[in-house]
Amino acid sequence: MKRWAAVVLYLLFGFFLSSQTHARSLDLRILHVNDFHGFADAYQPLGSHERLGGAAYLAGKVNALRRGKPTLLLAAGDMIQGNNWANMSQGESVVEMMNQMRFDAMVLGNHEFDFGRAVLEKRMSEAAFPILGANVEGLDRLKPFIIKEMDGVKVGIVGVVTEETPVATHPRNVSGLNFRSSAETVERYVRELKDRADIIVVLSHIGHEADRALAGRVKGIDVIVGGHSHTRILKPARVGNTLVVQAWEHGKAIGVLDLVIREGRVIEYDGWLEEIKPQAEKEDRGVLAIVEKYSRSMDTVLNAGVGNTGIDLDGENVRKRETNLGNLIADIIRQASKADAAIINGGTIRTNISRGEIRMKDIYSVLPFDNYIVAIRLRGKQIAEALEHGVSGIEEGEGRFPQVAGLTFAYSPSAPKGSRIREILIAGKPLDPGGEYSVATNDFLAVGGDGYRPFAEAVKSSQTFSVVGGMLQGEKVVYSDSGRWLRDVVVEYIKGKATIAPGIEGRITVRP
Amino acid sequence: MMKVYVNDLPVDLVQGMTVRHALTAGGLLETLEQGKKVYDEWKNELGLDGALSEGVKIFVR
Repeated sequence: MKRWAAVVLYLLFGFFLSSQTHARSLDLRILHVNDFHGFADAYQPLGSHERLGGAAYLAGKVNALRRGKPTLLLAAGDMIQGNNWANMSQGESVVEMMNQMRFDAMVLGNHEFDFGRAVLEKRMSEAAFPILGANVEGLDRLKPFIIKEMDGVKVGIVGVVTEETPVATHPRNVSGLNFRSSAETVERYVRELKDRADIIVVLSHIGHEADRALAGRVKGIDVIVGGHSHTRILKPARVGNTLVVQAWEHGKAIGVLDLVIREGRVIEYDGWLEEIKPQAEKEDRGVLAIVEKYSRSMDTVLNAGVGNTGIDLDGENVRKRETNLGNLIADIIRQASKADAAIINGGTIRTNISRGEIRMKDIYSVLPFDNYIVAIRLRGKQIAEALEHGVSGIEEGEGRFPQVAGLTFAYSPSAPKGSRIREILIAGKPLDPGGEYSVATNDFLAVGGDGYRPFAEAVKSSQTFSVVGGMLQGEKVVYSDSGRWLRDVVVEYIKGKATIAPGIEGRITVRP
Repeated sequence: MMKVYVNDLPVDLVQGMTVRHALTAGGLLETLEQGKKVYDEWKNELGLDGALSEGVKIFVR
Protein backbone atom coordinates (compact mmCIF):
# COMPACT_ATOMS: atom_id res chain seq x y z
CA MET A 1 0.00 0.00 0.00
CA LYS A 2 2.79 2.38 1.00
CA ARG A 3 4.56 1.54 -2.25
CA TRP A 4 1.46 2.41 -4.30
CA ALA A 5 1.05 5.65 -2.41
CA ALA A 6 4.67 6.56 -3.11
CA VAL A 7 4.19 5.86 -6.83
CA VAL A 8 1.04 7.99 -6.94
CA LEU A 9 2.77 10.82 -5.08
CA TYR A 10 5.76 10.57 -7.43
CA LEU A 11 3.51 10.72 -10.49
CA LEU A 12 1.52 13.64 -9.06
CA PHE A 13 4.75 15.48 -8.23
CA GLY A 14 6.11 14.79 -11.71
CA PHE A 15 2.89 16.02 -13.27
CA PHE A 16 2.98 19.12 -11.06
CA LEU A 17 6.58 19.84 -12.06
CA SER A 18 5.82 19.22 -15.70
CA SER A 19 2.77 21.48 -15.66
CA GLN A 20 4.70 24.16 -13.81
CA THR A 21 7.54 23.98 -16.33
CA HIS A 22 5.08 24.10 -19.16
CA ALA A 23 3.21 26.95 -17.49
CA ARG A 24 6.37 29.03 -17.25
CA SER A 25 7.48 28.45 -20.82
CA LEU A 26 6.58 30.77 -23.61
CA ASP A 27 7.74 31.79 -27.04
CA LEU A 28 6.66 35.41 -26.90
CA ARG A 29 6.68 37.97 -29.68
CA ILE A 30 6.79 41.66 -28.75
CA LEU A 31 5.82 44.10 -31.49
CA HIS A 32 6.64 47.71 -30.77
CA VAL A 33 6.09 51.17 -32.21
CA ASN A 34 7.28 54.53 -30.86
CA ASP A 35 7.01 58.21 -31.82
CA PHE A 36 4.27 57.60 -34.36
CA HIS A 37 3.25 61.28 -34.07
CA GLY A 38 0.05 60.76 -36.04
CA PHE A 39 1.73 59.94 -39.37
CA ALA A 40 -1.23 58.08 -40.82
CA ASP A 41 -0.09 58.39 -44.43
CA ALA A 42 3.12 57.09 -45.96
CA TYR A 43 5.60 59.82 -46.87
CA GLN A 44 9.02 60.24 -48.42
CA PRO A 45 11.54 61.14 -45.69
CA LEU A 46 14.18 63.79 -46.44
CA GLY A 47 16.95 62.21 -48.51
CA SER A 48 14.98 59.00 -49.10
CA HIS A 49 13.98 57.67 -52.51
CA GLU A 50 10.89 55.83 -51.36
CA ARG A 51 7.77 56.38 -49.34
CA LEU A 52 7.63 54.71 -45.94
CA GLY A 53 5.00 54.24 -43.25
CA GLY A 54 1.23 54.47 -43.43
CA ALA A 55 -1.01 53.37 -40.57
CA ALA A 56 -3.05 50.89 -42.62
CA TYR A 57 0.12 49.16 -43.84
CA LEU A 58 1.57 49.20 -40.33
CA ALA A 59 -1.59 47.50 -39.06
CA GLY A 60 -1.47 44.99 -41.92
CA LYS A 61 2.09 44.08 -40.94
CA VAL A 62 1.04 43.70 -37.31
CA ASN A 63 -1.71 41.30 -38.36
CA ALA A 64 0.79 39.18 -40.28
CA LEU A 65 3.36 39.17 -37.48
CA ARG A 66 0.77 38.20 -34.88
CA ARG A 67 -0.19 34.98 -36.63
CA GLY A 68 0.83 31.83 -34.81
CA LYS A 69 2.54 33.39 -31.80
CA PRO A 70 1.46 34.82 -28.48
CA THR A 71 2.11 38.49 -29.14
CA LEU A 72 2.20 41.78 -27.26
CA LEU A 73 1.77 45.02 -29.19
CA LEU A 74 3.33 47.94 -27.32
CA ALA A 75 3.59 51.69 -27.96
CA ALA A 76 6.52 53.60 -26.45
CA GLY A 77 4.99 57.06 -26.43
CA ASP A 78 4.49 60.21 -28.55
CA MET A 79 1.68 58.64 -30.52
CA ILE A 80 -1.13 61.22 -30.57
CA GLN A 81 0.48 64.57 -31.49
CA GLY A 82 2.49 65.89 -34.42
CA ASN A 83 1.05 65.39 -37.88
CA ASN A 84 -2.11 67.27 -38.90
CA TRP A 85 -4.01 63.97 -39.10
CA ALA A 86 -3.56 63.65 -35.34
CA ASN A 87 -3.61 67.31 -34.36
CA MET A 88 -6.93 68.15 -36.04
CA SER A 89 -8.75 65.78 -33.67
CA GLN A 90 -6.35 66.38 -30.77
CA GLY A 91 -5.24 62.77 -30.94
CA GLU A 92 -8.69 61.13 -31.05
CA SER A 93 -7.90 59.67 -34.48
CA VAL A 94 -4.77 57.94 -33.19
CA VAL A 95 -6.50 56.42 -30.17
CA GLU A 96 -9.23 55.04 -32.43
CA MET A 97 -6.56 53.58 -34.70
CA MET A 98 -4.73 52.04 -31.74
CA ASN A 99 -7.98 50.53 -30.42
CA GLN A 100 -8.58 48.97 -33.82
CA MET A 101 -5.03 47.56 -33.83
CA ARG A 102 -5.60 46.08 -30.33
CA PHE A 103 -2.57 47.56 -28.63
CA ASP A 104 -1.79 45.86 -25.32
CA ALA A 105 -0.22 48.88 -23.61
CA MET A 106 1.22 52.32 -24.21
CA VAL A 107 3.44 54.60 -22.17
CA LEU A 108 2.86 58.33 -22.25
CA GLY A 109 5.40 60.39 -24.17
CA ASN A 110 6.12 64.03 -23.47
CA HIS A 111 4.09 65.11 -26.52
CA GLU A 112 0.99 63.32 -25.20
CA PHE A 113 0.67 66.34 -22.88
CA ASP A 114 0.74 68.94 -25.67
CA PHE A 115 -3.04 69.33 -25.99
CA GLY A 116 -3.38 69.99 -22.26
CA ARG A 117 -4.40 67.84 -19.37
CA ALA A 118 -8.16 67.78 -19.99
CA VAL A 119 -7.71 66.52 -23.56
CA LEU A 120 -5.19 63.92 -22.42
CA GLU A 121 -7.61 62.60 -19.82
CA LYS A 122 -10.33 62.40 -22.50
CA ARG A 123 -7.99 60.45 -24.80
CA MET A 124 -7.10 58.12 -21.94
CA SER A 125 -10.77 57.47 -21.28
CA GLU A 126 -11.24 56.50 -24.95
CA ALA A 127 -8.32 54.07 -25.01
CA ALA A 128 -9.20 50.37 -24.91
CA PHE A 129 -5.68 49.59 -23.72
CA PRO A 130 -3.87 50.52 -20.49
CA ILE A 131 -1.79 53.69 -20.53
CA LEU A 132 1.29 53.63 -18.31
CA GLY A 133 3.33 56.29 -16.56
CA ALA A 134 4.81 55.06 -13.30
CA ASN A 135 6.78 58.26 -12.69
CA VAL A 136 3.86 60.65 -13.29
CA GLU A 137 1.74 61.71 -10.33
CA GLY A 138 -1.61 63.41 -10.71
CA LEU A 139 -3.41 61.52 -13.48
CA ASP A 140 -5.93 59.09 -12.04
CA ARG A 141 -6.33 56.88 -15.11
CA LEU A 142 -2.61 56.30 -15.45
CA LYS A 143 -1.27 52.92 -14.37
CA PRO A 144 2.32 52.42 -13.15
CA PHE A 145 2.46 48.89 -14.54
CA ILE A 146 0.42 45.97 -15.76
CA ILE A 147 0.96 42.23 -15.59
CA LYS A 148 -0.09 40.36 -18.72
CA GLU A 149 -0.47 36.61 -18.31
CA MET A 150 0.27 34.78 -21.53
CA ASP A 151 0.06 30.99 -21.62
CA GLY A 152 0.77 30.97 -17.89
CA VAL A 153 3.78 33.29 -18.10
CA LYS A 154 3.43 36.61 -16.33
CA VAL A 155 4.91 39.57 -18.16
CA GLY A 156 5.28 42.69 -16.01
CA ILE A 157 5.29 45.93 -18.00
CA VAL A 158 6.35 49.18 -16.30
CA GLY A 159 5.99 52.52 -18.12
CA VAL A 160 8.12 55.65 -17.63
CA VAL A 161 8.26 58.99 -19.46
CA THR A 162 11.08 61.51 -19.56
CA GLU A 163 11.24 63.64 -16.44
CA GLU A 164 12.13 66.58 -18.72
CA THR A 165 8.49 66.67 -19.88
CA PRO A 166 7.70 69.84 -17.87
CA VAL A 167 10.30 71.81 -19.87
CA ALA A 168 9.63 70.06 -23.19
CA THR A 169 5.97 71.11 -23.33
CA HIS A 170 4.25 74.31 -22.23
CA PRO A 171 4.10 74.42 -18.42
CA ARG A 172 0.32 74.90 -18.47
CA ASN A 173 -0.02 71.42 -19.96
CA VAL A 174 1.55 69.75 -16.93
CA SER A 175 0.18 72.01 -14.22
CA GLY A 176 -0.53 69.98 -11.09
CA LEU A 177 1.44 66.98 -12.28
CA ASN A 178 4.65 65.69 -10.76
CA PHE A 179 7.32 63.89 -12.77
CA ARG A 180 9.64 61.69 -10.72
CA SER A 181 13.01 60.22 -11.65
CA SER A 182 12.47 57.48 -14.22
CA ALA A 183 15.43 55.44 -12.94
CA GLU A 184 14.36 55.54 -9.29
CA THR A 185 10.79 54.72 -10.31
CA VAL A 186 11.85 51.71 -12.35
CA GLU A 187 14.06 50.51 -9.48
CA ARG A 188 11.06 50.63 -7.18
CA TYR A 189 8.73 48.75 -9.51
CA VAL A 190 11.30 46.13 -10.49
CA ARG A 191 11.60 45.35 -6.77
CA GLU A 192 7.83 45.14 -6.52
CA LEU A 193 7.38 42.99 -9.62
CA LYS A 194 10.28 40.58 -9.34
CA ASP A 195 8.25 38.08 -7.29
CA ARG A 196 5.02 38.70 -9.21
CA ALA A 197 6.17 38.48 -12.83
CA ASP A 198 8.30 36.02 -14.78
CA ILE A 199 9.89 38.67 -16.92
CA ILE A 200 9.95 42.46 -16.67
CA VAL A 201 9.59 44.81 -19.62
CA VAL A 202 10.12 48.54 -19.24
CA LEU A 203 8.14 50.56 -21.74
CA SER A 204 10.08 53.78 -21.80
CA HIS A 205 9.91 57.23 -23.36
CA ILE A 206 13.23 58.56 -22.11
CA GLY A 207 15.51 58.16 -25.17
CA HIS A 208 18.00 55.47 -26.16
CA GLU A 209 20.97 56.84 -24.24
CA ALA A 210 18.89 57.01 -21.06
CA ASP A 211 17.55 53.50 -21.77
CA ARG A 212 21.09 52.16 -21.87
CA ALA A 213 21.95 53.97 -18.65
CA LEU A 214 18.79 52.56 -17.05
CA ALA A 215 19.71 49.03 -18.10
CA GLY A 216 23.17 49.50 -16.57
CA ARG A 217 21.80 50.86 -13.32
CA VAL A 218 18.75 48.70 -12.58
CA LYS A 219 19.24 44.93 -12.48
CA GLY A 220 16.32 42.66 -13.23
CA ILE A 221 14.95 44.33 -16.35
CA ASP A 222 14.65 41.80 -19.19
CA VAL A 223 13.66 44.19 -21.97
CA ILE A 224 13.47 47.95 -22.47
CA VAL A 225 11.17 48.98 -25.30
CA GLY A 226 12.12 52.59 -25.89
CA GLY A 227 11.11 55.79 -27.62
CA HIS A 228 11.76 59.57 -27.60
CA SER A 229 15.10 59.62 -29.47
CA HIS A 230 13.56 58.19 -32.69
CA THR A 231 16.37 55.64 -32.83
CA ARG A 232 16.43 53.00 -35.55
CA ILE A 233 17.85 49.98 -33.72
CA LEU A 234 18.23 47.26 -36.30
CA LYS A 235 19.25 44.57 -33.81
CA PRO A 236 18.55 44.62 -30.05
CA ALA A 237 21.30 46.25 -28.01
CA ARG A 238 22.37 44.23 -25.01
CA VAL A 239 23.39 45.96 -21.78
CA GLY A 240 24.18 43.36 -19.12
CA ASN A 241 21.21 41.02 -19.20
CA THR A 242 18.84 43.63 -20.58
CA LEU A 243 17.77 43.91 -24.21
CA VAL A 244 17.18 47.47 -25.42
CA VAL A 245 15.07 48.07 -28.53
CA GLN A 246 13.47 51.02 -30.34
CA ALA A 247 11.68 51.23 -33.70
CA TRP A 248 12.63 54.56 -35.34
CA GLU A 249 9.67 56.93 -35.87
CA HIS A 250 6.39 57.80 -37.63
CA GLY A 251 5.39 54.17 -38.19
CA LYS A 252 8.14 53.79 -40.80
CA ALA A 253 9.06 50.52 -39.12
CA ILE A 254 7.73 48.10 -36.56
CA GLY A 255 10.03 46.44 -34.07
CA VAL A 256 9.88 42.67 -33.64
CA LEU A 257 11.40 40.98 -30.61
CA ASP A 258 11.04 37.21 -30.22
CA LEU A 259 11.78 35.85 -26.76
CA VAL A 260 12.13 32.23 -25.68
CA ILE A 261 11.17 32.21 -22.00
CA ARG A 262 11.84 29.21 -19.82
CA GLU A 263 11.41 29.11 -16.05
CA GLY A 264 11.05 32.85 -15.83
CA ARG A 265 14.17 33.57 -17.84
CA VAL A 266 14.79 34.75 -21.36
CA ILE A 267 17.07 32.05 -22.74
CA GLU A 268 17.02 33.06 -26.41
CA TYR A 269 16.05 36.12 -28.40
CA ASP A 270 15.99 37.54 -31.86
CA GLY A 271 14.98 41.04 -32.85
CA TRP A 272 14.72 43.16 -35.97
CA LEU A 273 12.85 46.01 -37.60
CA GLU A 274 10.34 45.47 -40.38
CA GLU A 275 10.13 48.52 -42.62
CA ILE A 276 6.61 49.60 -43.49
CA LYS A 277 6.10 50.28 -47.18
CA PRO A 278 2.85 51.08 -48.97
CA GLN A 279 1.86 47.87 -50.73
CA ALA A 280 -1.53 47.26 -52.27
CA GLU A 281 -3.49 44.42 -50.66
CA LYS A 282 -1.29 44.55 -47.56
CA GLU A 283 -3.28 47.11 -45.65
CA ASP A 284 -5.65 46.54 -42.74
CA ARG A 285 -9.10 47.55 -44.01
CA GLY A 286 -10.36 48.56 -40.57
CA VAL A 287 -7.47 50.94 -39.96
CA LEU A 288 -7.69 52.21 -43.55
CA ALA A 289 -11.31 53.16 -42.91
CA ILE A 290 -10.27 55.11 -39.79
CA VAL A 291 -7.47 56.87 -41.69
CA GLU A 292 -9.89 57.87 -44.44
CA LYS A 293 -12.61 58.95 -42.01
CA TYR A 294 -10.31 61.37 -40.19
CA SER A 295 -8.75 62.56 -43.46
CA ARG A 296 -12.22 63.57 -44.66
CA SER A 297 -12.87 65.23 -41.32
CA MET A 298 -9.49 66.99 -41.62
CA ASP A 299 -10.54 68.38 -45.00
CA THR A 300 -13.72 69.70 -43.40
CA VAL A 301 -11.75 71.39 -40.62
CA LEU A 302 -9.20 72.85 -43.07
CA ASN A 303 -11.99 74.29 -45.17
CA ALA A 304 -13.80 75.79 -42.20
CA GLY A 305 -13.68 79.54 -41.67
CA VAL A 306 -11.66 80.85 -38.73
CA GLY A 307 -12.37 84.55 -39.27
CA ASN A 308 -12.38 87.33 -41.82
CA THR A 309 -9.92 89.85 -43.13
CA GLY A 310 -11.09 93.26 -44.22
CA ILE A 311 -8.10 93.67 -46.56
CA ASP A 312 -5.77 91.55 -48.68
CA LEU A 313 -2.94 90.11 -46.57
CA ASP A 314 0.42 90.42 -48.30
CA GLY A 315 2.62 87.36 -48.00
CA GLU A 316 4.32 87.98 -51.32
CA ASN A 317 6.56 90.93 -50.46
CA VAL A 318 7.74 89.66 -47.07
CA ARG A 319 11.30 89.22 -48.40
CA LYS A 320 11.72 92.86 -49.33
CA ARG A 321 9.55 95.13 -47.18
CA GLU A 322 7.19 95.45 -44.25
CA THR A 323 3.84 93.81 -45.04
CA ASN A 324 0.57 93.67 -43.16
CA LEU A 325 0.71 89.86 -42.96
CA GLY A 326 4.27 90.02 -41.64
CA ASN A 327 3.13 92.52 -39.02
CA LEU A 328 0.16 90.33 -38.03
CA ILE A 329 2.25 87.21 -37.49
CA ALA A 330 5.05 89.08 -35.70
CA ASP A 331 2.43 90.69 -33.44
CA ILE A 332 0.89 87.31 -32.61
CA ILE A 333 4.29 85.82 -31.78
CA ARG A 334 5.12 88.77 -29.56
CA GLN A 335 1.77 88.66 -27.81
CA ALA A 336 1.87 84.88 -27.21
CA SER A 337 5.31 85.09 -25.61
CA LYS A 338 4.82 88.48 -23.92
CA ALA A 339 8.17 89.55 -25.35
CA ASP A 340 9.36 93.13 -25.83
CA ALA A 341 9.72 92.61 -29.56
CA ALA A 342 9.48 89.97 -32.27
CA ILE A 343 11.65 89.26 -35.29
CA ILE A 344 10.82 86.56 -37.82
CA ASN A 345 12.28 85.79 -41.20
CA GLY A 346 10.04 86.72 -44.10
CA GLY A 347 10.71 83.31 -45.60
CA THR A 348 8.53 81.79 -42.89
CA ILE A 349 5.52 83.32 -44.65
CA ARG A 350 4.77 81.56 -47.92
CA THR A 351 1.69 83.11 -49.53
CA ASN A 352 -1.06 85.75 -49.52
CA ILE A 353 -4.57 85.67 -48.10
CA SER A 354 -7.26 87.48 -50.07
CA ARG A 355 -9.81 89.78 -48.48
CA GLY A 356 -12.84 87.95 -47.12
CA GLU A 357 -13.20 84.74 -45.19
CA ILE A 358 -10.03 83.15 -43.84
CA ARG A 359 -10.12 79.37 -43.84
CA MET A 360 -7.86 77.27 -41.72
CA LYS A 361 -6.12 75.94 -44.79
CA ASP A 362 -5.20 79.52 -45.74
CA ILE A 363 -3.23 79.84 -42.51
CA TYR A 364 -1.67 76.41 -43.08
CA SER A 365 -0.59 77.54 -46.56
CA VAL A 366 0.89 80.76 -45.20
CA LEU A 367 2.76 78.87 -42.45
CA PRO A 368 3.41 75.33 -43.77
CA PHE A 369 6.45 74.62 -41.61
CA ASP A 370 6.31 72.95 -38.21
CA ASN A 371 7.71 75.95 -36.35
CA TYR A 372 7.04 76.99 -32.79
CA ILE A 373 7.58 80.15 -30.75
CA VAL A 374 10.75 80.77 -28.75
CA ALA A 375 11.63 84.03 -26.98
CA ILE A 376 15.18 84.90 -26.05
CA ARG A 377 16.80 87.79 -24.22
CA LEU A 378 19.11 89.67 -26.57
CA ARG A 379 21.38 92.62 -25.98
CA GLY A 380 20.50 95.70 -27.98
CA LYS A 381 23.71 95.15 -29.92
CA GLN A 382 22.58 91.63 -30.86
CA ILE A 383 19.20 92.93 -32.05
CA ALA A 384 21.03 95.40 -34.29
CA GLU A 385 23.21 92.56 -35.61
CA ALA A 386 20.14 90.41 -36.27
CA LEU A 387 18.42 93.19 -38.22
CA GLU A 388 21.62 94.01 -40.08
CA HIS A 389 21.82 90.38 -41.14
CA GLY A 390 18.13 90.41 -42.04
CA VAL A 391 18.54 93.23 -44.59
CA SER A 392 21.80 91.93 -46.03
CA GLY A 393 20.16 89.70 -48.63
CA ILE A 394 17.46 91.99 -49.96
CA GLU A 395 18.94 92.17 -53.47
CA GLU A 396 18.72 88.41 -53.78
CA GLY A 397 15.23 88.27 -52.28
CA GLU A 398 16.54 86.10 -49.45
CA GLY A 399 14.00 84.79 -46.94
CA ARG A 400 15.94 86.28 -44.04
CA PHE A 401 14.41 89.76 -44.53
CA PRO A 402 12.84 90.55 -41.13
CA GLN A 403 9.22 91.14 -40.26
CA VAL A 404 9.01 92.75 -36.83
CA ALA A 405 6.78 93.72 -33.92
CA GLY A 406 7.43 95.91 -30.90
CA LEU A 407 10.26 97.69 -32.70
CA THR A 408 10.83 99.90 -35.72
CA PHE A 409 13.94 100.32 -37.79
CA ALA A 410 15.22 102.27 -40.77
CA TYR A 411 17.80 100.99 -43.21
CA SER A 412 19.60 102.06 -46.34
CA PRO A 413 19.53 99.38 -49.04
CA SER A 414 22.16 101.21 -51.08
CA ALA A 415 24.73 101.04 -48.27
CA PRO A 416 27.21 98.15 -48.17
CA LYS A 417 26.01 94.90 -46.62
CA GLY A 418 26.70 94.92 -42.89
CA SER A 419 26.21 98.67 -42.42
CA ARG A 420 22.70 99.31 -43.64
CA ILE A 421 20.78 99.75 -40.40
CA ARG A 422 20.27 103.40 -39.49
CA GLU A 423 17.94 103.62 -36.52
CA ILE A 424 16.18 101.17 -34.22
CA LEU A 425 13.47 102.09 -31.74
CA ILE A 426 11.95 99.75 -29.18
CA ALA A 427 8.77 100.92 -27.49
CA GLY A 428 9.42 104.27 -29.16
CA LYS A 429 12.85 104.70 -27.56
CA PRO A 430 16.27 104.35 -29.20
CA LEU A 431 17.74 100.89 -28.80
CA ASP A 432 20.28 100.67 -25.98
CA PRO A 433 23.16 98.56 -27.34
CA GLY A 434 24.00 97.34 -23.84
CA GLY A 435 20.41 96.91 -22.69
CA GLU A 436 18.63 93.56 -22.65
CA TYR A 437 15.31 92.91 -24.39
CA SER A 438 13.18 89.79 -24.79
CA VAL A 439 12.75 89.03 -28.48
CA ALA A 440 10.32 86.41 -29.76
CA THR A 441 11.02 84.43 -32.88
CA ASN A 442 10.54 80.91 -34.22
CA ASP A 443 12.59 77.85 -33.28
CA PHE A 444 14.34 77.89 -36.67
CA LEU A 445 15.86 81.32 -36.11
CA ALA A 446 16.48 80.56 -32.43
CA VAL A 447 19.15 78.04 -33.39
CA GLY A 448 20.72 80.34 -35.97
CA GLY A 449 18.66 79.29 -38.99
CA ASP A 450 18.82 81.60 -42.03
CA GLY A 451 22.11 82.83 -40.61
CA TYR A 452 20.55 84.57 -37.58
CA ARG A 453 23.56 83.96 -35.38
CA PRO A 454 22.71 86.45 -32.59
CA PHE A 455 19.85 84.23 -31.42
CA ALA A 456 22.07 81.15 -31.36
CA GLU A 457 24.79 83.09 -29.53
CA ALA A 458 22.30 84.20 -26.89
CA VAL A 459 21.13 80.60 -26.41
CA LYS A 460 24.77 79.55 -26.10
CA SER A 461 25.40 82.06 -23.34
CA SER A 462 22.37 80.92 -21.35
CA GLN A 463 23.37 78.30 -18.84
CA THR A 464 20.07 77.19 -17.39
CA PHE A 465 16.39 77.89 -17.01
CA SER A 466 13.49 76.76 -14.91
CA VAL A 467 9.72 77.00 -14.72
CA VAL A 468 8.57 80.03 -12.72
CA GLY A 469 4.91 80.95 -12.48
CA GLY A 470 3.98 78.74 -15.40
CA MET A 471 6.57 80.22 -17.77
CA LEU A 472 10.04 79.20 -18.73
CA GLN A 473 12.42 81.61 -17.06
CA GLY A 474 16.14 81.61 -17.54
CA GLU A 475 19.17 83.69 -18.23
CA LYS A 476 18.31 84.03 -21.92
CA VAL A 477 15.43 81.79 -22.92
CA VAL A 478 12.16 83.18 -21.60
CA TYR A 479 9.62 81.21 -23.64
CA SER A 480 9.58 77.96 -25.59
CA ASP A 481 6.47 76.00 -26.55
CA SER A 482 7.54 73.08 -28.71
CA GLY A 483 4.14 71.42 -28.46
CA ARG A 484 2.17 74.06 -30.34
CA TRP A 485 2.84 74.98 -33.94
CA LEU A 486 2.94 78.68 -34.79
CA ARG A 487 0.15 78.26 -37.35
CA ASP A 488 -2.17 76.91 -34.64
CA VAL A 489 -1.39 79.94 -32.45
CA VAL A 490 -2.28 82.17 -35.42
CA VAL A 491 -5.55 80.29 -36.02
CA GLU A 492 -6.51 80.69 -32.39
CA TYR A 493 -5.72 84.41 -32.48
CA ILE A 494 -7.85 85.03 -35.57
CA LYS A 495 -10.73 82.99 -34.14
CA GLY A 496 -10.61 85.26 -31.10
CA LYS A 497 -10.74 88.43 -33.20
CA ALA A 498 -13.34 87.29 -35.80
CA THR A 499 -12.30 90.11 -38.18
CA ILE A 500 -8.78 91.42 -38.70
CA ALA A 501 -7.37 94.27 -40.76
CA PRO A 502 -3.66 94.63 -40.03
CA GLY A 503 -1.96 97.59 -41.65
CA ILE A 504 1.49 98.75 -42.66
CA GLU A 505 2.60 101.02 -39.84
CA GLY A 506 6.04 102.24 -40.79
CA ARG A 507 7.84 99.61 -38.74
CA ILE A 508 10.44 99.26 -41.48
CA THR A 509 11.44 102.40 -43.39
CA VAL A 510 13.91 102.94 -46.19
CA ARG A 511 16.48 105.74 -46.10
CA PRO A 512 18.64 106.86 -48.99
CA MET B 1 19.82 74.66 -21.86
CA MET B 2 21.71 71.71 -23.28
CA LYS B 3 24.91 71.19 -25.15
CA VAL B 4 25.06 68.44 -27.75
CA TYR B 5 27.80 67.50 -30.19
CA VAL B 6 27.38 67.31 -33.95
CA ASN B 7 30.37 65.68 -35.61
CA ASP B 8 32.26 66.41 -32.37
CA LEU B 9 31.49 70.15 -32.50
CA PRO B 10 29.42 71.61 -29.63
CA VAL B 11 25.98 73.05 -30.34
CA ASP B 12 23.82 74.79 -27.72
CA LEU B 13 20.08 74.17 -27.81
CA VAL B 14 16.97 74.86 -25.79
CA GLN B 15 15.34 71.92 -23.99
CA GLY B 16 12.80 70.21 -26.22
CA MET B 17 14.79 70.83 -29.39
CA THR B 18 15.59 67.93 -31.67
CA VAL B 19 18.09 66.45 -34.10
CA ARG B 20 16.69 68.81 -36.76
CA HIS B 21 17.57 71.88 -34.65
CA ALA B 22 21.07 70.55 -33.97
CA LEU B 23 21.68 70.09 -37.70
CA THR B 24 20.28 73.55 -38.48
CA ALA B 25 22.58 75.07 -35.87
CA GLY B 26 25.50 73.11 -37.28
CA GLY B 27 24.63 74.08 -40.87
CA LEU B 28 24.26 70.42 -41.85
CA LEU B 29 20.54 70.01 -42.50
CA GLU B 30 20.88 70.47 -46.25
CA THR B 31 23.42 67.64 -46.48
CA LEU B 32 20.62 65.17 -45.78
CA GLU B 33 19.09 66.02 -49.14
CA GLN B 34 22.30 64.70 -50.68
CA GLY B 35 21.77 61.35 -49.01
CA LYS B 36 23.64 61.78 -45.74
CA LYS B 37 22.10 60.41 -42.56
CA VAL B 38 22.32 61.08 -38.85
CA TYR B 39 23.64 58.48 -36.39
CA ASP B 40 24.14 58.21 -32.65
CA GLU B 41 27.36 57.06 -31.04
CA TRP B 42 26.29 53.41 -31.34
CA LYS B 43 25.83 53.84 -35.11
CA ASN B 44 22.05 53.73 -34.93
CA GLU B 45 20.29 56.00 -37.43
CA LEU B 46 18.21 58.81 -35.88
CA GLY B 47 15.05 60.51 -37.08
CA LEU B 48 15.13 64.29 -37.49
CA ASP B 49 12.51 64.76 -34.80
CA GLY B 50 14.44 62.66 -32.30
CA ALA B 51 14.83 64.16 -28.84
CA LEU B 52 18.26 65.16 -27.61
CA SER B 53 19.65 65.50 -24.14
CA GLU B 54 22.69 67.02 -22.52
CA GLY B 55 25.96 65.69 -23.89
CA VAL B 56 24.49 63.55 -26.65
CA LYS B 57 26.82 62.99 -29.61
CA ILE B 58 25.41 62.69 -33.10
CA PHE B 59 27.17 62.28 -36.40
CA VAL B 60 26.25 63.16 -39.97
CA ARG B 61 27.80 60.96 -42.63
